[in-house]
Amino acid sequence: MLRLFATVKKELLILLRDRSGLAILFLMPMALVTIMALIQDAPFRDYQELRIPVLVINHDKGNLGKKIIDGLTNSKVFQVTLFTESEIEAKKKVAKSDYEIGISIPEDASEQLNLRIQKFVTITLNEVGIVDTRVKEQTQSTKDTTISVYFAPNIKKSFRNSVLSSIKQVSSKLETQSMLDNFKKALNQDDDSTQNTNQAIDDFINFKEEAVIENQYAILELNSVQHNVPAWTMFGMFFIVITLSGSIIKEREDGSYLRIKTMPGSYFTVMAGKIVTFLFVCLTQCFLMLLVGIYLLPHLGLPQLIIGTSKAAIALVAISSGLAATGYGVLVGTLFSTHQQSSTFGAVSVVILAALGGIWVPVYVMPEAVKFLAEFSPLFWGLSAFQNIFLSHGDVLSVQIYIYKLLLFFGFCIGISYIINEVRQ
Amino acid sequence: MLNHEAIQVSQLIKKYKDSSTPAVNDISFTIKPGTIWGLLGPNGAGKTTVISILCGLLKKTSGDVSIYGLNYQENREEIKQLIGVVPQDIAIYPTLTAYENLKYIGNMYGLKGQELKERISHCLSTFELDHVSNKRIESFSGGMKRRINLIAGILNKPKILFLDEPTIGVDVQSRNIIIEYLNKLNSEGATIIYTSHLMEEAENLCSYISIIDHGKIISDGSPTELLRQHSSSNLEQLFLKLTGRKLRD
Ligand SMILES: Nc1ncnc2c1ncn2[C@@H]1O[C@H](COP(=O)(O)OP(=O)(O)O)[C@@H](O)[C@H]1O
Ligand SMILES: [Mg+2]
Repeated sequence: MLRLFATVKKELLILLRDRSGLAILFLMPMALVTIMALIQDAPFRDYQELRIPVLVINHDKGNLGKKIIDGLTNSKVFQVTLFTESEIEAKKKVAKSDYEIGISIPEDASEQLNLRIQKFVTITLNEVGIVDTRVKEQTQSTKDTTISVYFAPNIKKSFRNSVLSSIKQVSSKLETQSMLDNFKKALNQDDDSTQNTNQAIDDFINFKEEAVIENQYAILELNSVQHNVPAWTMFGMFFIVITLSGSIIKEREDGSYLRIKTMPGSYFTVMAGKIVTFLFVCLTQCFLMLLVGIYLLPHLGLPQLIIGTSKAAIALVAISSGLAATGYGVLVGTLFSTHQQSSTFGAVSVVILAALGGIWVPVYVMPEAVKFLAEFSPLFWGLSAFQNIFLSHGDVLSVQIYIYKLLLFFGFCIGISYIINEVRQ
Repeated sequence: MLNHEAIQVSQLIKKYKDSSTPAVNDISFTIKPGTIWGLLGPNGAGKTTVISILCGLLKKTSGDVSIYGLNYQENREEIKQLIGVVPQDIAIYPTLTAYENLKYIGNMYGLKGQELKERISHCLSTFELDHVSNKRIESFSGGMKRRINLIAGILNKPKILFLDEPTIGVDVQSRNIIIEYLNKLNSEGATIIYTSHLMEEAENLCSYISIIDHGKIISDGSPTELLRQHSSSNLEQLFLKLTGRKLRD
């Protein structure tokens, strides 16, 4: 324990004396997040108002389904994709943000609508003394027609409402039309009646908004701040690879590593000292970045960062991301023999992993062909976990898969480094 | 432990991965406790390779090495507590102060608190570095760096001290302090293993000398024995006689 403590203290002292290292570790990510959040503020808002991919399941054989699809297509706001699989599958796709909206039109939508309208027409005509002779018996009971609409987690509230009202418009137009048709048909048999009903026409079709992620809280919208703060936090954490691998290589180059090897304490104590130190750096970074999001960005005219409800989940994701980043740094420091090589490879690889992981541009904006690559970026795992916590009020359970992935990545890096180190002697 | 030789080496061979000839080619020797053993040879003879294997920094290709009856495969951590190492290159963190470096090293040996503090200030004053205790190593002169490098190796009061060319590139004053200190340490019971290419220094300091070239020990004995055997008047002459006048890289 004394050895670990001494090693951590030594590493911290060396870090504190390295001004340019400190700038890379702390100032750079804080500057990046501020700049990127400002730059992307407008594009983020625009993007939300552009073409919206909608997934439609149409089980309806009649007019209603067709009309809704036509209405969505003609609005030029939506990009409609018809889907033939189950509603559960559709919800999964929407949950993953493959589509931003899902709409399910049930099998008997048109039929039920017609039945209800007929019933309404008959009752209305009866009230005014006209008997609709077409309908002898009105025993068949009618049900509400429920069209389910579900949204991806990152959809703006205002946008949801406009989608719902667009769909309502389409269907109420249809209702009015078929109601008039029914009245006409009924009245044609009784020409002298020109009565109008005073009864208000209610909506027969109920729209029900359903959450794709089961949670009692409202789901927040993704904006520039909500994207950029966790994104650049992950980037900053992984950028320690340069400082960490540099510290490992410098020790090897200047012979301190040889001295360490002649002193008691194993490879693991030495590495543990570095890991603890840089994990501490990562957590400090993360904390500072969240502070920037909560306190600094609002002063610059941006929305305030909202961090969800589970502090424990944030802490666990931060720790596992920090470990993944330090593990990667140890691996890079072990793999390369000069600082030049390690910092070049470290920087380039982190930038690539960041790009793939949706740090620069969110994954859902990316072309399909590269979207799947995000799954291979540890930065994406951390970012997804943070966004789940921040936007969907995720907790430890809902982000556990990301935590496992990050920890596994850490173990993998340390394992490989250990093997390389053994083989090299 | 007392009835063991300090170091026993038999049929030691070291072949680096990417070289055709072994850097250490089947050498055997025994070092009794309390010896100041000088391993002398021209550049590239294999001195650093031998000493690195003896202090556990390098894996041997074959042969046996035992330190007070212990070996590196089974008793690495115990051996580490017994030995001190002063590498050929300065191995001290340049951005830390002398005190911070020594405190870290002391902690690694399990020393702490007042005991460590006293040990550090004793060592610093022995090597006349107490006035720069709180200065960063990067501001030190070459001789000062050599001295702090040496202190780092003796902080744990080792039973065996390994020094690889400890007096390389230092002025006469620093060299004097170092040689004096090694004599004193030896008189307190430490075994000292030391490499050099400076014959005069070795002649005065060492009680036993091995001359190594091309990875083989070509002659050994006490300085007087060696001179008598080869009827030379001084080691410098003997050295040239044994290793030739051809320049080494
Ligand atoms: N890491 C290494 N890889 C390959 N060859 C080496 C390595 N280190 C030393 N050598 C070679 O081994 C020989 C002995 O080197 P060394 O022990 O450093 O000599 P000395 O310390 O006596 O100058 C030299 O020929 C040197 O080139
Ligand atoms: Mg050497």
